[in-house]
Amino acid sequence: MNRTVLIVGIVIVAAIVFILFAGLGKDPAHIDSPLVGRPAPPFSLKAVGTGEMVDIEKLRGKPVVLNFWATWCGPCYEEHPTLVANARNLQPGVQFVGVVFNDDEDKIMRFLAERGTAYPTLLDAQGKTAIAYGVGGVPETFFINPEGKIMAKFEGPLTTEALQAELAKAMR
Amino acid sequence: MIATFFLIALLQIKVPDAAQVLGPPQGPPLAGAQLERRTMELSSELRCPVCQGLAIGDSPSIMAANMREQARELLSRGYTREQVLSYFEKSYGQFVLLKPKFQGVNALVWLLPVLVLAIGFVIVVTKAKRLEKTPVPAAGAAAVPEATSEVIDDPYLARVREMVEKS
Repeated sequence: MNRTVLIVGIVIVAAIVFILFAGLGKDPAHIDSPLVGRPAPPFSLKAVGTGEMVDIEKLRGKPVVLNFWATWCGPCYEEHPTLVANARNLQPGVQFVGVVFNDDEDKIMRFLAERGTAYPTLLDAQGKTAIAYGVGGVPETFFINPEGKIMAKFEGPLTTEALQAELAKAMR
Repeated sequence: MIATFFLIALLQIKVPDAAQVLGPPQGPPLAGAQLERRTMELSSELRCPVCQGLAIGDSPSIMAANMREQARELLSRGYTREQVLSYFEKSYGQFVLLKPKFQGVNALVWLLPVLVLAIGFVIVVTKAKRLEKTPVPAAGAAAVPEATSEVIDDPYLARVREMVEKS
């Protein structure tokens, strides 16, 4: 009887340890996006400042780096120079697009004027585009291949290394 | 002229539409109090992606407000509860559903407690049956005073008991 209890105990403890150990290396805030491998939800939004309409479907033919951000987001300030520098290096072979949600056009204009820009920044007034892309917290960046399919999603501020690694998935 | 320009700009703005993902609505369009009630109900079933385990109905965040508004709009267009949940699930994954679906590994959440209860029940019944089978001591034996029926192994305890009985 005691032996049975011991074996059952060991099995239960081993299962718990296994589950905890398996989750140890994972980022609890990370959510796998069901959109990876699927067509990017189509949208057509107005660019802040220029008023130019940008239709994501018309950008097919080259990889697209689609970055969701906002002026009220701290890490977005940190990430912005990386995006601008990489856009200057990689465009026009790669198209960079920014989408800002729940923000004020004046604040965005000021942000871009102070920190520079190299690509269109679109205003997603009610955040519907962000919802369709499953955006939780900003910044989040999607890497879309020339066929219009989402190949990778990156959560948090991008570094040049991370950007290039993720972009490589959309270049293949 | 300016008004026309803005009107054109407004007409051209196109946000991703649920119809592209879900097809046509499968229910009646809702309005008024019924729409508000259904929106509230749905808001308690969807997880706010930027909060710690909060439903979008309980979160003050902008993201949650946007999601509530999206749910309200879809319900007003006649999308059913299942369709709206599926719309959010398609972009955020099952994570967005506060009640996990009964499928795959998730099914364990429902099945394990029932299984553990069933195993416990079997153990209790087996034990009870075994107890029933053990012979009951004879009626006379029960009348024997407790102190004399006990076998005392401990010599110290035996001495203490002896002294107590003497006094």
